[in-house]
Amino acid sequence: MKRFLLYATLVVGAIIFLYPFVWMIAATLKPEPEIAGFHIIPRHLTFESYHFVFNKLPIIRGFVNSLFVSMIVTASVIIFGSMTGYALSRLRFRGRATVYNVALLTMMVPAQLTIIPLYTMIVGFGWVNSYLALIVPAMMSSYSSLLFRQFFLSIPQSLVEAAKLDGCSDWRILFSIFYPLSKPVITTVAILTFMGIWNDVLWPLMVIRDEQLMTMPLLVTLFAVGGGADARLGVQLAAATLLALPVIIAYIFLQRNLIESMASSGMKN
Amino acid sequence: MRLLFITLLLASLSNCTPSPSANTSQAEDRITLTYWSATNPDEVKFANETAAEWNREHPQIQIKIEVVPAGQSSEEVVLAAVASRTTPDIYASVFPGVMQDLLDARGVVQLDGFPDFDAVLNERMPPETSEQYRSPDGHFYQMPWKSNPIMMLYNTGMLREVGITTLPTTYSEFLAAATRVTRDRDGDGRVDQWMATIDYLPIWYKRMYDYYPLYLAASGGETLLQKRRVAFNNEHSIEVFRFLQECFSKGYVPRQTFQGDVFLDAKVAAKFSGPWSISHLERYRPADFEYEYAPMLRPDNASIQPVSYADSKSIVIFTTCRHPREAWEFVKFMTTKRNDLRLLEITSQLPIRASMLEDEVFADYFGRHPQMVRFAEQVLGARSVDSVSELKEIFDIITQEFEASVIFNLKSPEQAVQDAAQRSQTILDVE
Amino acid sequence: MQPSEAKRFSMWNRGERKGESRREKAERGLLPAAFRPLPSQSADRAGYLMVLPYVIHTVIFIGYPLAFAFVLIFHRWNIYSPMKWVGLGNIKLLLIDPLIWRALGNTIFFLLIHIPLQLIIALGLAQLLNQKIRGRTFFRASYFLPVVISGIVVTILWQQLYAYETGLVNLALREINLPRVGWLTDPRIAMVSIAVMATWKNVGLYVVLFLVGLQAIPSHLYEAAELDGASSWQKFRLITVPMLNPTIMLVLVLSTINGFSLFIEPYVMTGGGPVSSTLSGILYLYKQAFFFGKMGYAATIGFFWALIIFMVVLIQRRVVETEAV
Repeated sequence: MKRFLLYATLVVGAIIFLYPFVWMIAATLKPEPEIAGFHIIPRHLTFESYHFVFNKLPIIRGFVNSLFVSMIVTASVIIFGSMTGYALSRLRFRGRATVYNVALLTMMVPAQLTIIPLYTMIVGFGWVNSYLALIVPAMMSSYSSLLFRQFFLSIPQSLVEAAKLDGCSDWRILFSIFYPLSKPVITTVAILTFMGIWNDVLWPLMVIRDEQLMTMPLLVTLFAVGGGADARLGVQLAAATLLALPVIIAYIFLQRNLIESMASSGMKN
Repeated sequence: MRLLFITLLLASLSNCTPSPSANTSQAEDRITLTYWSATNPDEVKFANETAAEWNREHPQIQIKIEVVPAGQSSEEVVLAAVASRTTPDIYASVFPGVMQDLLDARGVVQLDGFPDFDAVLNERMPPETSEQYRSPDGHFYQMPWKSNPIMMLYNTGMLREVGITTLPTTYSEFLAAATRVTRDRDGDGRVDQWMATIDYLPIWYKRMYDYYPLYLAASGGETLLQKRRVAFNNEHSIEVFRFLQECFSKGYVPRQTFQGDVFLDAKVAAKFSGPWSISHLERYRPADFEYEYAPMLRPDNASIQPVSYADSKSIVIFTTCRHPREAWEFVKFMTTKRNDLRLLEITSQLPIRASMLEDEVFADYFGRHPQMVRFAEQVLGARSVDSVSELKEIFDIITQEFEASVIFNLKSPEQAVQDAAQRSQTILDVE
Repeated sequence: MQPSEAKRFSMWNRGERKGESRREKAERGLLPAAFRPLPSQSADRAGYLMVLPYVIHTVIFIGYPLAFAFVLIFHRWNIYSPMKWVGLGNIKLLLIDPLIWRALGNTIFFLLIHIPLQLIIALGLAQLLNQKIRGRTFFRASYFLPVVISGIVVTILWQQLYAYETGLVNLALREINLPRVGWLTDPRIAMVSIAVMATWKNVGLYVVLFLVGLQAIPSHLYEAAELDGASSWQKFRLITVPMLNPTIMLVLVLSTINGFSLFIEPYVMTGGGPVSSTLSGILYLYKQAFFFGKMGYAATIGFFWALIIFMVVLIQRRVVETEAV
């Protein structure tokens, strides 16, 4: 009996978290009057909502924009973050302690404080409505640098010494010896950075106004807020589904990695 | 890696340099002027046709049409262009509310410096109309061009059904009609037909289509501010708030959102609207659907000429223009009678021009479009907005008090108007 | 890793001896540079090159905006016109601005609902998952799904669920003969609705965090308590909760920061209404900057908001620490 209750609770929980998504995807395939109902299988299957979205929104372009921006930023955060992490953990140079402390300190600066001045700066650079505004400010992250430093500290120093005897430069040590050893931390940094950029709306909302340059979440947000969907439920849900689908697919394959990375980010904050 | 970084920096720097504007023609003696049109396809069409005709007649002064770049709002795009000195030569869709910002940024050319400006302006409209476009320093920086007066739109069939044959003009006539129109038609115990719809969303510009035209009608055309002093803290505002509050609290205006067009679906008998609804209604209305426009509602004791809000747009010449004289010649061409007629024909928006209804140039058009006659009558009397850079915020403050008092009945109209006035003045005083 | 390198790696590992002091290890080159004293004569040139991009980037994109924030606070500026000095004008305006205080009140109200809900549900589900059950991976993954889905998707979805006429929540109420509720249109309820949605969106993350925390509690503690005849509640109160204290602190801080970062939910669902009941600090900041063109005032709001977050987190830490004693 107790076992049964336990499973019942867990299953009810799972339904609460999963059913809305299933319902959402189903609703996008129903005609408008059918949406207000609990059933999942559409009585009349229609792709009308998707037609509408694809006609109204450059959604493919948005997807490509999102992918492009997220990938560049992720690559940059990994490369520069690992360089910084390597220097902070393995190299001796004047000011190292200062850089380390500054990195710790910048993590405590809330984004609310800098977002407006940062925006005015981007306007000053003439970067509004350009990929640069989306990419450049996010190219480095103190948090990721510190994650790399933390991880690199656990790699035996003797490995470095030996590589140096073989005439390896620090660059080669980092990229061809440390990288293969650092898969866990690279995965974590990649997932956190990618998800952060992929899902962000506030910053793109500020700096991008040209529909052709908009990221997918921004397109969908403005579509929902700006009434582009003509108050049609199915259309709004279709736009949301298109935005969710890549993440859901990635989640099915990378579920363990995603959960662990996101949980670890919580732990270390 | 460092290389990548430097490359990016360089790329960004190259992005900073203003794009070459306006005069990029090869021939030394030929002038090319860039003209920004609003994005709406009808206006682009008007701009293209007008420019094509001009270009044929003036081979030495060519007009190049560009659509104002996409952005959150065209006002912001224009301000950004002013700041980066990438403005075109002429822009035709300036919202008069942003003129003060354009002036502060020294973005626009003083137009009454041209010797024939006064003559051109006075030929088009009487001083009572043009005065509201004069800037506080006493000069004109904008050429008032076109207007969309806000009026009351009624479904005459629905009114006739309950025995109303003359359209309401005052609050009490409107409320009396409302008691008859608002009812439960299918007998399921829930009201399914209402007197009017008001888009009461708490967004600042929505008040330009309910509170503001009503206020202008009640006050006889007094705008919200006098210089930088709040002037709307008066009986007129309170009357408007009280009237709207009654509409909502008695359920004459539904407090919910619907899918589709409630007016076209004959669920409501009235709404605030401009001339842009005509083409929409003509296209989609069922054969037996009848509608008519009427002047803005007024308080019962008011005996003044009906006034309303004119959603108007002006033409400006930017200070980046190297040939302002030639640009001005084109502005004059754009606003001739013939081109005003073209504007009407293509865009169904009204040129701000006196006595169009008596003019034979326009006679044919108004004969074909009887609904537009109502708007033509309103064009001169309609008011624009005060030109202060705090305008949006003042409308936003009014919106919040409107929501608290009119929609949710949490505040008396008196209190709401007073709070809005006080807060607006506080914001105007921060300098 | 190249095979030869792997071989060397294992070789060096074997070179490690038990009981070595840090100094001895350092001398044998087994400890990373960070733990070694810095000899002043030699510096690694690569070090400068490797941190240089980070340093430049941080100075430009964090340092400068930070400094510039303090300039903006004293100005009125719409970016496009010249800056206008207003002295303490923005700060004075902030102190008497009913809306910023309203936003703060709304946020605190949000947190008062969100945090307890979050803690109870997350801890409850984590407890259940921490038993011997089949399909734990599946359950964990399904609770976690909303966490990875972008906030805007969740917002659009819940906007439909909460819709007055057609929303599933009201349809369900009608099934059991209860009146409809204006989930997003009633000023007393709208913020509660948003808080419930935010809980649904985030609770999966906290389930996982608590699960990690629970698994770290050594089982002998419970066994010892059972020998002493402790009830389940006593075990929970006296062992589980104290042992989970760091996790609880973490959940508190994360949800607080979440609450103070609320933006997309009210922006899309309610626009901050009805009657400002869902206005959030960031939404207000955004409005001031992008609707009204007041960068100086927006920066002042940002500064104020950052200050509040800092204080609230500090207070929470203090409270949880005293609890623990």
